[in-house]
Amino acid sequence: MRKLINKLNELNWFLPVLAFIVGCIGVAMIYSATGGVWGLGAKQHFIRLCAGLILMLIIASIDVRIWFQLAYPGYVFALIFLICVEFFGVSVNGSQRWLDLFVVRIQPSEMMKMAMVLALARFYHDLPQWRVSKPVGVIGVLIIILAPVGLILLQPDLGTALLLAATGIVFAFLSGINWRVITGAAVSAAIALPLFVQFGLKDYQRARIHTFLDPSRDPSGASYHIIQSKIALGSGGISGKGFMQGTQSSLNYVPENRTDFIFTVIGEEFGLVGGLGTMVLYILILGVCIWLANQCRHIFSRMLIMGLSMTFALYVFINMAMVMGLVPVVGVPLPLISYGGTVMMTVLAGFGIILSAHLHRNKELPRGSGLLLSFR
Amino acid sequence: MSNKDDHIQMMNRRSVLIGLGGLCIFNVLASRLYYLQVVRAEDYRVLSDKNQFNFNILLPERGRILDRYGEALAMNKQDFRFVLVPERVQDIDKTLNKIGKILPLSQLSRKRIKNDIRHNAKFIPVLIDEHVEWSVFSALNINLPNIPGLVPVEGKRRSYPNDGVFAHTLGYVGKVGQKPLESDEDSLLRQPSFRIGKTGIEQSFDKVLRGKAGRQKVEVNAIGRIVHEWESDKKEATPGQDVWLTLDAGLQRYSASLFGEESGGVSVIDAKTGELRVLLSMPTFDGNLFVSGLSSSKMKALNADPSRPQFNKVLGGGYPPASTFKMVAMLAALKSGLINPQHPVFCSGKIELGDRIFHCWKRHGHGWMNMHDALQHSCDVYFYEIVQRLGIDRIKSMAEKLGLGQSYDLGINGQIKGIIPNAVWKKANNHGTWRTGDALNAVVGQGYVLATPLQLSVMVARIANGKNAIEPSLIINDNMRSANTLDINPDHIKFVQNAMLSVTERAGGTAYRPGALGIPGVKMAGKTGTGQVRGITTAERAKGVIKNKYLLWKHRDHSIFVGYAPYDNPRFAACVLVEHGGSGAGLAAQYCRKILSKALKDDGMANMGMPIKNEG
Repeated sequence: MRKLINKLNELNWFLPVLAFIVGCIGVAMIYSATGGVWGLGAKQHFIRLCAGLILMLIIASIDVRIWFQLAYPGYVFALIFLICVEFFGVSVNGSQRWLDLFVVRIQPSEMMKMAMVLALARFYHDLPQWRVSKPVGVIGVLIIILAPVGLILLQPDLGTALLLAATGIVFAFLSGINWRVITGAAVSAAIALPLFVQFGLKDYQRARIHTFLDPSRDPSGASYHIIQSKIALGSGGISGKGFMQGTQSSLNYVPENRTDFIFTVIGEEFGLVGGLGTMVLYILILGVCIWLANQCRHIFSRMLIMGLSMTFALYVFINMAMVMGLVPVVGVPLPLISYGGTVMMTVLAGFGIILSAHLHRNKELPRGSGLLLSFR
Repeated sequence: MSNKDDHIQMMNRRSVLIGLGGLCIFNVLASRLYYLQVVRAEDYRVLSDKNQFNFNILLPERGRILDRYGEALAMNKQDFRFVLVPERVQDIDKTLNKIGKILPLSQLSRKRIKNDIRHNAKFIPVLIDEHVEWSVFSALNINLPNIPGLVPVEGKRRSYPNDGVFAHTLGYVGKVGQKPLESDEDSLLRQPSFRIGKTGIEQSFDKVLRGKAGRQKVEVNAIGRIVHEWESDKKEATPGQDVWLTLDAGLQRYSASLFGEESGGVSVIDAKTGELRVLLSMPTFDGNLFVSGLSSSKMKALNADPSRPQFNKVLGGGYPPASTFKMVAMLAALKSGLINPQHPVFCSGKIELGDRIFHCWKRHGHGWMNMHDALQHSCDVYFYEIVQRLGIDRIKSMAEKLGLGQSYDLGINGQIKGIIPNAVWKKANNHGTWRTGDALNAVVGQGYVLATPLQLSVMVARIANGKNAIEPSLIINDNMRSANTLDINPDHIKFVQNAMLSVTERAGGTAYRPGALGIPGVKMAGKTGTGQVRGITTAERAKGVIKNKYLLWKHRDHSIFVGYAPYDNPRFAACVLVEHGGSGAGLAAQYCRKILSKALKDDGMANMGMPIKNEG
């Protein structure tokens, strides 16, 4: 018990407090988006936020070495789940993302986000620095990244797949990979991307990209989202229409404004001030994370914190860019603010791991014990 | 160790680089937000208002159409209907069964209701039934608490009383077609319950009757449900204006009642002003049928009727005016000075022209006839003789002076000009060169000559008036057009009027029935016409012309009568045409006497005893 209190004392409280503030913004916005009814999501969001924070603290108190041990098995499990989705998954909205485990329905792609970060952190922890840019390092990383990305693309879930790929790239960059390799990867991506768009995408995904490029083409169809969302943001102006006064959201012109498009409610009701304020909070969270990462002794902990916080940052970037009409509409929520249980739990569990890694930053971790990469 | 430190250093560097990269992305997002919320804010605010607010159209009440005394000929009747709001209904079938117990619903309409519910948003009311009887409406109203979702609606619906007696003049309203939508910007036309004038006054005065749409500002959500109505931002609809007609509803109804099963037309005109008192085409149809849309079987039945109920015979029917045309020939002859009206002509019952024989209606002839007697007895041979000296052009110009061969500005469509032929006309219409025989046919109002009952009534009205070339009018306050002078020698007019009086009031006249109006001291002048619709062969003539009653209805003669009264101070002129009604002295004369008599009595002439002296 004392040990636990000691741990909580040592805990970095910036992250939980920031997470709580942002989560409460989410509660308020969901309350407004559902027309001022507490029970239509705001209540659930608040309960999940609190439960998630407790979960976060529990995870934070778990020794980081357990995560270290679980890194590879967890990754393999997540991969197996992803494969299971292919065969036994439940279809929702035309894509097969859910796995029904009788008790709960889980989304293995969400699990994979964390599992891949752990696996990559472990991989780079074990890999000697000088091998990072060597074939062993590059190919190893590519396998760890591309296996889940490929499976998720099959579901199909373009947003999550891109998110995983981007996280992987950040990892590689952080590991100190050679600029030559980075350039080479960028060139091959530039060649592969158009081919992928042409042959690798489903029709509805291509339609989203077309809509994004020319939103006025079909105002009530697919691009309706983008147009209405821009109207909501733009009509907010500098100071916004006021809490609960957003007509675009209260009259349901912006679809999904409780979930993926919740940022429109902030923008409409609190204007530029509210929008920038939200961004500042996210920047603070990311800043705290980088600060925490750089305090750690081990590559594993650093990689873990950076990886998890970058996943979080990518969520924020993609969601905001999508709502503002900068990127095509992909189903990416705004972490902590968008309504949704899985995302809330994943994000706060991630924060828990970050806190755990930071809390145990001085614990000894064996190096070169994983796989067969330790020989020099 | 230093290796590891280097590694840590590098990771620190790279993590800061990543952090800076993140800041760059946030910078891009913030700029975008600035662009949307500050630079473009105004544009998006407008778009947001457009989303949020809608203007609901408020329908104006359509103007009525009234007769000269203010009786409504076209009006708006309370219309009761029921709608169902699907979102308030739990079980559609049960609800429909409950409704069906009081308001019977056919299998077809149940199917339609369910279909409508499926294809609309759940808050949009679906029509259950319209034009519901008051008794059913009130019975269902009592049961409303048991049937959630059922909403009674009281609306207005165009209604035409009088069993269609005014149908041809009034026309009717119906659903808006494609054509007016293309040319007319009025938002009313886009309202599903709006009805537009399709024919008659309803069509030509549609813009006057229609009124102006009102509007109300409403707040709507993304699926179109009204969230809020602004009473303060409401502009009431401007009701349409009433249109007053010159018609006398009572007189027109009376005229229609005389016809019974017969087919034809009546035009009664004020000989002083040109106002039409009666403009009737028989049989009629019920304009009410068209308001809510006519089923195709009913439409077919209406179109298949040989008496053509939908056809406006009084304006659009071209008939041979027959002997009623003889006044035109007389006036032309008097004007030319070529014919001495006292100079007698011998009628043997026929004249020969080349190898053709032209018959008088009286087989054995009238004997010696002067101009006056020729009209009184309607002697054809007299006119055959004089037309050969006059030539057709003099007759044509007189006919046009009297109002034939032209259409008038009545304010409704459907008039035809009719035909007053001459050599130029015949050539232009590819009927060959003009022959004397054509003139002989024309002078007795047969052959190519065609006129409408309206035109014949105008002709008589001008003869009766004598001074002004009166123009018929149908709309009151239509800026009383000042008529041109008729420009016919008053002595000639007097001579013709006198001959027309002999037709009805002097023994031997074709319509001789003295005092027939039943008003002491008031006399009617007139002229009969028997419009031949078939050729009579020489062979038939030899055996004796077949009597009308032995002929098929469609081969019988048209019965025509034109007249005016009182003779001394002409007030009303009329033309009655009974299709295939036999001789003009028969049905048409009989109807005309009754109509003129009633017109005068209603006008307060019955108790006058002494006619007013005609001045000038």
